[in-house]
Amino acid sequence: MECCSLVRTLVHRYCAGEEDWVDSRTVYVGHREPPPGAEAYIPQRYPDNRIVSSKYTFWNFVPKNLFEQFRRVANFYFLIIFLVQLIIDTPTSPVTSGLPLFFVITVTAIKQGYEDWLRHKADNAMNQCPVHFVQHGRLVRKQSRKLRVGDIVLVKEDETFPCDLIFLSSSRADGTCHVTTASLDGESSHKTHYAVQDTKGFHSEEDIDSLHATIECEQPQPDLYKFVGRINVYNDQNDPVVRPLGSENLLLRGATLKNTEKIFGVAIYTGMETKMALNYQSKSQKRSAVEKSMNTFLIVYLCILISKALVNTVLKYVWQSTPFQDEPWYSRKTEAERQRSLFLRAFTDFLAFMVLFNYIIPVSMYVTVEMQKFLGSYFITWDNEMFDEELGEGPLVNTSDLNEELGQEREELFFRALCLCHTIQVKDDEEVDGPQKSPDSGKRSAYISSSPDEVALVEGIQRFGFTYLRLKDNYMELLNRDNDVERFELLEILSFDSVRRRMSVIVKSAAGEIYLFCKGADSSIFPRVIEGKVDQIRSRVERNAVEGLRTLCVAYKRLVPEEYEGICKLLQAARVALQDRDKKLAEVYEQIETDLVLLGATAVEDRLQEKAADTIEALQKAGIKVWVLTGDKMETAAATCYACKLFRRNTQLLEVTTKRLEEHSLHDVLFELSKTVLRCSASLTRDNFSGLSADMQDYGLIIDGAALSLIMKPREDGSSSNYRELFLDICRNCSAVLCCRMAPLQKAQIVKLIKFSKEHPITLAIGDGANDVSMILEAHVGIGVIGKEGRQAARNSDYAIPKFKHLKKMLLVHGHFYYIRISELVQYFFYKNVCFIFPQFLYQFFCGFSQQTLYDTAYLTLYNISFTSLPILLYSLMEQHVAMDTLKRDPALYRDIAKNALLRWRAFIYWTLLGLFDALVFFFGAYFMFENTTVTSNGQVFGNWTFGTLVFTVMVFTVTLKLALDTHYWTWINHFVIWGSLLFYVVFSLLWGGVVWPFLSYQRMYYVFIQLLSSGPAWLAIVLLVTVSLLPDVLKKVLCRQLWPSAIERVQRSPSRPAPADAAPSPDRPLLTDPEPRPRRE
Amino acid sequence: MAMNYNAKDEVDGGPPCPPGGTAKTRRPDNTAFKQQRLPAWQPILTAGTVLPTFFIIGLIFIPIGIGIFVTSNNIREIEIDYTGTDPSSPCYKCLSPNVTPCICTINFTLDQSFEGNVFMYYGLSNFYQNHRRYVKSRDDGQLNGDPSALLNPSKECEPYRRNEDKPIAPCGAIANSMFNDTLELFQVGNASDLMPITLKKKGIAWWTDKNVKFRNPPGTDPLEERFKGTTKPVNWVKPVYMLDSDEDNNGFINEDFIVWMRTAALPTFRKLYRLIERKNDLHPTLPAGRYYLNITYIILNTLHVLFISSIVNHLHTVDKNTGTWSL
Repeated sequence: MECCSLVRTLVHRYCAGEEDWVDSRTVYVGHREPPPGAEAYIPQRYPDNRIVSSKYTFWNFVPKNLFEQFRRVANFYFLIIFLVQLIIDTPTSPVTSGLPLFFVITVTAIKQGYEDWLRHKADNAMNQCPVHFVQHGRLVRKQSRKLRVGDIVLVKEDETFPCDLIFLSSSRADGTCHVTTASLDGESSHKTHYAVQDTKGFHSEEDIDSLHATIECEQPQPDLYKFVGRINVYNDQNDPVVRPLGSENLLLRGATLKNTEKIFGVAIYTGMETKMALNYQSKSQKRSAVEKSMNTFLIVYLCILISKALVNTVLKYVWQSTPFQDEPWYSRKTEAERQRSLFLRAFTDFLAFMVLFNYIIPVSMYVTVEMQKFLGSYFITWDNEMFDEELGEGPLVNTSDLNEELGQEREELFFRALCLCHTIQVKDDEEVDGPQKSPDSGKRSAYISSSPDEVALVEGIQRFGFTYLRLKDNYMELLNRDNDVERFELLEILSFDSVRRRMSVIVKSAAGEIYLFCKGADSSIFPRVIEGKVDQIRSRVERNAVEGLRTLCVAYKRLVPEEYEGICKLLQAARVALQDRDKKLAEVYEQIETDLVLLGATAVEDRLQEKAADTIEALQKAGIKVWVLTGDKMETAAATCYACKLFRRNTQLLEVTTKRLEEHSLHDVLFELSKTVLRCSASLTRDNFSGLSADMQDYGLIIDGAALSLIMKPREDGSSSNYRELFLDICRNCSAVLCCRMAPLQKAQIVKLIKFSKEHPITLAIGDGANDVSMILEAHVGIGVIGKEGRQAARNSDYAIPKFKHLKKMLLVHGHFYYIRISELVQYFFYKNVCFIFPQFLYQFFCGFSQQTLYDTAYLTLYNISFTSLPILLYSLMEQHVAMDTLKRDPALYRDIAKNALLRWRAFIYWTLLGLFDALVFFFGAYFMFENTTVTSNGQVFGNWTFGTLVFTVMVFTVTLKLALDTHYWTWINHFVIWGSLLFYVVFSLLWGGVVWPFLSYQRMYYVFIQLLSSGPAWLAIVLLVTVSLLPDVLKKVLCRQLWPSAIERVQRSPSRPAPADAAPSPDRPLLTDPEPRPRRE
Repeated sequence: MAMNYNAKDEVDGGPPCPPGGTAKTRRPDNTAFKQQRLPAWQPILTAGTVLPTFFIIGLIFIPIGIGIFVTSNNIREIEIDYTGTDPSSPCYKCLSPNVTPCICTINFTLDQSFEGNVFMYYGLSNFYQNHRRYVKSRDDGQLNGDPSALLNPSKECEPYRRNEDKPIAPCGAIANSMFNDTLELFQVGNASDLMPITLKKKGIAWWTDKNVKFRNPPGTDPLEERFKGTTKPVNWVKPVYMLDSDEDNNGFINEDFIVWMRTAALPTFRKLYRLIERKNDLHPTLPAGRYYLNITYIILNTLHVLFISSIVNHLHTVDKNTGTWSL
């Protein structure tokens, strides 16, 4: 069944692509044909309302899941190895690589299968839940999945909408309804939607059935907040009435109806075409720097693997060229082998060597890394300190793939774009000059509004004696000073957008006068003002801005009815346009909002979040460059920066602003600045740490959106990158950068610019508003603050935290830990597999390059999956090389791990060399023992399997103890797992060698381990070889710690050290009483 | 690629829950584990801790080292090369393919007496017992006495699996190339008379190999009957059931055979050949003096040339005062 629908959908998609793909769709409301005169259109077929979120069906699960799993390069590689083992005569049995692969694939398949089963259940619940249809004037209950485009649906209070509907009518007299979109975008506030003007009178099923209309609208697209369409309502004789449809008329699937008894709507997008379904398509995958390093290392190891196999193959044929080596009298080939061509033999040998050495790239590394990431992210969500009582929410981890990235890089010239932006809590303040007899900005400001400015305005007016009551039936009611209710009819809303940075309403007073009120940013209002106390207000606005307040200007103009008529026509024309509607609307708005009379201005204090300054200071100490990207005006933003200590009193501010650019060319400004900055940095030794000291001159750069777009603009002569380079150069030498007046897209642009600058810094973007989403998506790590203004930022982020202050712990503690953990995990995995495979390689020189394995099959198979896997997994979950509190107290420790320090080539080469050394010790230690002595008290001898077992035993102990030496945090779990896995190895070996296993065709391990342990010299060899292998690492550690201790090592040595004086701002200091001489409001 | 969409959220109508959170209270548990505050031992490797440790370990190893040094000084060992590549060697004649079987005698002198148990090893060099084709060329089922494997040996034994349409027992390259020199030791008495020294051939193989891993085909018939239907390995002179007259050391459980079947780790190796047990505390096992070593080569024409070029045979007569041993 599922399958059918899938095929059907595919067929539809395909067909649609082929023939009848058009930009818009036409929907017959209630499936009634339009009157004959209507435009011809191409009939389209739509999918039914079935939601298919599941990926698999019962039948296709196995093939499809396998296909998807083997699309991963690693899995595919292991599959190839496995197949090679099956096909050719290889030294190791296919089991050795087949079993781990099978295990991994099965576990993944079970997990995905279970998830899919849950999805199926949820889908079924969704698709079968009853929906009320209107059919032939009667109400019919049907399953949700039977819904078709064009059906008229009845939705009752607290029900969710079954598909995307055009809102036709509501039980409320004013034709509105309230909706929450909590499950769509997380915003739980109620939003008002409006029924189509001409249909809102249809209240009963019979009425609605008589409706004769068609809807034209765009094809479904994922943007939740955009919709364009129009509806043609046919009356009996007249020409059809055409109405524009916008997102305010659209009720989205997934949203819930609130405070409204019932509504009627017509389905326009169904099933997988609803905006909700389109939206849940995956986001692009972000990959962490660690993962990139890991992949590079893998490639290195792959090269090593191939070269090992090549070297051995070549040597084999060189060796065999001396007589009788290839086929000595005691070991003849079979006839078939002898007749094989040389080329084929060489190729088979090469493959066999590949198989023999393939364990150097272990399957289990991927599994362990994935498990580490998945389980590790729980520690973030479990963190009590990052839980916010007020919101009742803790941090969310949306992508566990990036945990370590939190603790990663940054540094020196590295930037962290950080958007402090306006975060909640309206303080107070408001000034209204001039005659104030206005309603206010229209919209639904029931004193709880998405914008603090609006609240400020309304509250301010109230203080002057005008109380805004409500919006009722398109009338705004206002209580004036004489306690009379004034009513203004709301005629039009010219809605807000971030390009215009203003919005307007057109209202009609009871006296019949028509006004246009416009509110917006000062920069967008002042140019359009022709009278009012412009200069006075301008100076007030500027003063407010300097104090860090967010300002908003209000202006109005009176419209004579003829003007209004004209405006209406223009608007109507633009609104019904199906193409470029936004552009057309913007043009019309531009035209309308001119010649205003300035009324006044409001100012709102943006209160910084708790401990923002503390957090920023810590970040700077940690060597993170902080950039503030904000849409606020320069003065406001600068004041905020002072408040949060991004700029200090001695910071010299460099400005690249529109104002300056009016006087000088961009070229001059940039060169002059770079000269200033570079002169300073040249005269001082470029010590990173001194950059923080107070006596050094540090710079803060301020740039605004307009100047930035000039810098970013590619020039025609192709030298486009020059300014960018120069700009980045300047920024690199500034301790803080403030970008103000940024459009959302510019924020992302900046992040991109930094990301791809030549140092390739890791960027983190944090923000709380919808305008930060693009930036969050662009940055390497995106963090959303679960704000009150909506949850879009949190939804699109990789991590969401309740408060800005939590960033500190997130980065300094969790980030640091995860980075240490995962880098050790990666390096250790390579190390232990070098230890594992290099003796095999050496052994080939002693067995005539015959691909004889050194270890038994069971050891080959289990080395990575059970003998050495758990300790490192646990280490990667639990390790704390420094106490959590120390990390928090001393942000400078973060610098130690910057720039991927633990995964750079030096570290990688060290680990690899250590692995090689250890392997040499194991192999030649055992070699000398076997060459010179026979090692049992009764004179009996050991064979090759004992040799391998000795090497293997030494190896398991060395590798495990090496990890034990690296562990700085021994909880009982660590003890249990480390000693437990050694014990497991011994017990397993005793068992494996203790019984003649009937299912094995060979008994080569029989009593081998026990015989080994019964020999005194073997014990001695084990102890000695383990010690020798571990010695250089211990020496290196001790010497480095003694001679060149890193900051972390210094702290480790004296854990009880008091916090350094400069790094300990008292944690509970309230933020707002900052010592900066900020002029407070009088 | 993947659809993260979860219809459950829609049904609940609530905001998605964070992992680990419950609907009732989202506050994470304040347990030591979840807050990563489990009590822990936090050792740090510093010079202050590592140097004393090294010192102590060093101290412990000093007596061990002394003990080992003394023991190894007490080991007596003599190595006799009887390959016969040198024309002056008495065994030079045995290089010629025409003499078969060829017997040669080497005499040697022990300057010091060998006390305690003495072990005789034979050593081969440049013999790749660890070659993959060689190592796998055996059938452990057959060697364990499995009657079906006896008559139908594993494919791994190719090309030593069947001969003249009969299954080979024991099959495979390892068995086929079994070491088959016979070594005898005589002490030259005072009156130049030769006193044979008893060489013990039991106890040279692992007990578990002899008693568990290697089994003759089941039955109460004479061994020859039990091996009926099989043929001897091509290089062998005698079939497997005629390796020894002692019923307990014949067939697959012949200890010389078992020792050979344990493939050596390296191309130069030695294997235990015979034990010379100490008789009583008064006499040394091998007193100082002159000895004769009698070697009987059983050389097959087919492998003659190869034998010479590739194999060096040694006799290692080994002794140790303490009675334990070594080379």
